[in-house]
Amino acid sequence: MNVSSAATSTLSKEEVRTRVDVTLGMIFFIGSWTMAFGTLFLSFLVLRQRVGVWPPEGIVLPSFPLATVATLILVASSLGLHRAVRAWDAKGGGGEREQASSAQRDWAVGVGLGFAFAVLQALLWADLLAAGRFPSSGLYESLFYGLTWVHAAHVVIGLLALLWAWIGLSSGRYGPNRLSTVSNIVIFWHFVDVVWIVLYLGFFVF
Amino acid sequence: MSGQHIHAEPTNFFRKHVFSVDHKVIAKQFLWFGLIWLGIGGVMAMMIRWQLANPGEPVPVIGSMLFPRTNGVLDPATYNTLFTMHGTIMIFLGLTPLMIGAIGNWSIPLMIGARDMIFPLLNCLSFWAMFLGGAVGFISLFVPLGATEAGWTGYPTLSTTINGVGSGETLWAIAVFLIGASSIMGGINYMTTVIRLRAPGMTWQRLPLTVWGIFLTSVLNVLFVPVIGSAMLLLIMDRVFGTTFFIPASIMQGAGGGDPILYQHLFWIFGHPEVYILILPAWGIIGDLLSFFSRKPAFGYRAQVGAMVAVTLLSAVVYGHHMFTTGLSAMLGESFMLLTMIISVPAEILFFNWLHTLWKGNLRLTTPMLFSMGVIFVFGLGGLTGIYLATIGTDIFLHDTYFVVGHFHLTMAASALFATFAGIYFWFPKMFAREMNEFLGKTHFWFTVIPLVTVFCLMFVMGYAGMPRRYYDHTSAEYLRSLQHLNKYATHAAFLLGAAQLVFVYNFIRSRWWGKPASQNPWEVGTLDWTMETPVPHYNFKEIPEVFTGPHEFSNPDIPDGKDWISMTEKLKA
Ligand SMILES: [Cu+2]
Repeated sequence: MNVSSAATSTLSKEEVRTRVDVTLGMIFFIGSWTMAFGTLFLSFLVLRQRVGVWPPEGIVLPSFPLATVATLILVASSLGLHRAVRAWDAKGGGGEREQASSAQRDWAVGVGLGFAFAVLQALLWADLLAAGRFPSSGLYESLFYGLTWVHAAHVVIGLLALLWAWIGLSSGRYGPNRLSTVSNIVIFWHFVDVVWIVLYLGFFVF
Repeated sequence: MSGQHIHAEPTNFFRKHVFSVDHKVIAKQFLWFGLIWLGIGGVMAMMIRWQLANPGEPVPVIGSMLFPRTNGVLDPATYNTLFTMHGTIMIFLGLTPLMIGAIGNWSIPLMIGARDMIFPLLNCLSFWAMFLGGAVGFISLFVPLGATEAGWTGYPTLSTTINGVGSGETLWAIAVFLIGASSIMGGINYMTTVIRLRAPGMTWQRLPLTVWGIFLTSVLNVLFVPVIGSAMLLLIMDRVFGTTFFIPASIMQGAGGGDPILYQHLFWIFGHPEVYILILPAWGIIGDLLSFFSRKPAFGYRAQVGAMVAVTLLSAVVYGHHMFTTGLSAMLGESFMLLTMIISVPAEILFFNWLHTLWKGNLRLTTPMLFSMGVIFVFGLGGLTGIYLATIGTDIFLHDTYFVVGHFHLTMAASALFATFAGIYFWFPKMFAREMNEFLGKTHFWFTVIPLVTVFCLMFVMGYAGMPRRYYDHTSAEYLRSLQHLNKYATHAAFLLGAAQLVFVYNFIRSRWWGKPASQNPWEVGTLDWTMETPVPHYNFKEIPEVFTGPHEFSNPDIPDGKDWISMTEKLKA
């Protein structure tokens, strides 16, 4: 991976400009997506209000331990990616060689944990399906499947984007400008992470 | 501005005309796309009017071709499909691409002095997402059991599988979702472009009002379109995967159902801002055009911008006025009523500023000016009748009558349509380097405005007399038979309105290919789009211009060399 050269070069004015441009676009995008998921949570809260007892009695709930492990894994994944991007972003300074190699390790761990989360999510569904609970079984199932489906779609998009960024990073094609693309993909991943935490709190904690 | 690169012009046909990333090409794609859908939606309106005036009689000319099974008669299901798809098409596939897609794409970079949108690829994706949405909507017309019949609002349980059988409703939801995705992509692009790519000297207070309007619309698009996107996802899940978000427990035989009113909340959280999504660009366009053709500065420029910002903010907190009859709590209902009434304050500010811009102006009654003044008129009529719908007491009586239909057609449909026409007539010479015929343009205007106002004012009368909307045959109700002659007048006026649009089509096509070559600045205005050569070169500005004056410096005594206008790139005399 040949990103250490990017880390040592100081960003030119134009590169800073591009960075601000794309980050601003990403902020608006996240704002928009917050409204999209906000709508889903609003629906969750309203419908939950409609049911006297929550979670409804006598149904099989998704596995709490599995969901907790998945949450921790996703947070760790975000953390790893965050550290990698921060290291690549740091300009100049000594010892950039070790820094770069540890950044690569963080990146690999972050993406790997992302895939692990996807597997756990699939297990959560498989568990419920095995217990005979389907999306059409009731309101709880509607909400659980519906909201996690939409979230999972974003996990898949995020993972594909991360892989795409990885290919770019390892081919060494990325200068500082392209690094802002990588950093934006990671911002999106953090967003996916936060949405999951809210889902987790809604379904498993409160 | 060094960030804006100049790429070589593509030579490949697909890159140049189909999957182009050039904002000017994308603007024209949106323009043709929107005009074609406007035509389709318009023909649907004509068939609806035919049925209202002559219930159960075969539709003349096109009827036997479109509905051979019934020998040209609209059966009730087809009638439902027509009014549903008419609304959906006009809003999402007609006005949205024309005003936001075409005029937005054309005017933003040229008016702020940028070489292109900031994210050209996203711009291209935005068009093709909308195209795909349109394609899905079009296909839904031909599936077994037909397109959706649930009304453009798609309320459950009309729209859930319990009533909406067949795949038409699902395809409708997918189409709305795709078109929404397109609007969000466009909105993000427009906002970032206006914030980041304004030419040096193009301060926020020198920004043409057109750009202000589209910018604020983009804010609303980015924030509120995702709400309907999510609602559509939930609706699709209810229909396809058997979830019960919007299906009440009573229908589910007690298996813990959802809440159909929830859908109404989600729909109108988006739906009310959508009204302003369509009207803000219209306000912006006429704010500029009224000044340009009055040869006077836009009166109260800052007040106009402030009023548009205020409306943008208020639009987020008034949606409950669509739901007064759903059993909203009294306190909530009164709050929504009050907030809705407050919107008339900034709206009045805009009105007085427009009128004052015209006052004692050196009016040039060109076609774009006529349409701009038309916006003031029809929006005034629509706005005033809105007060009765914002008031709970009168709304409960008028709800779901033709009064509502007349109201929203004048406010969001006719106003937005007139501003779109004003914009097309205004920018046509720059877009296609040819002039449109003024005589045909004025004919188009007068034969549009008079029948249009007739149709919708008759709807006020009929609605007040209690005629409900979405009924297949009003003559089946004893008390509505006395209104039938009004329905006939309205239909005649509507046909005249429809015929007038053929004048526009003829003028547009003829001028596009055989019109008189346009000069560089036929309207004599100073905004950056008109200071550049015609046709606009690839990547617009070789040198990014520097701006020294505002967009409306007309008849300023400090303008050098005896003109009454000054380009934004020129300096006033010290
Ligand atoms: Cu409203």
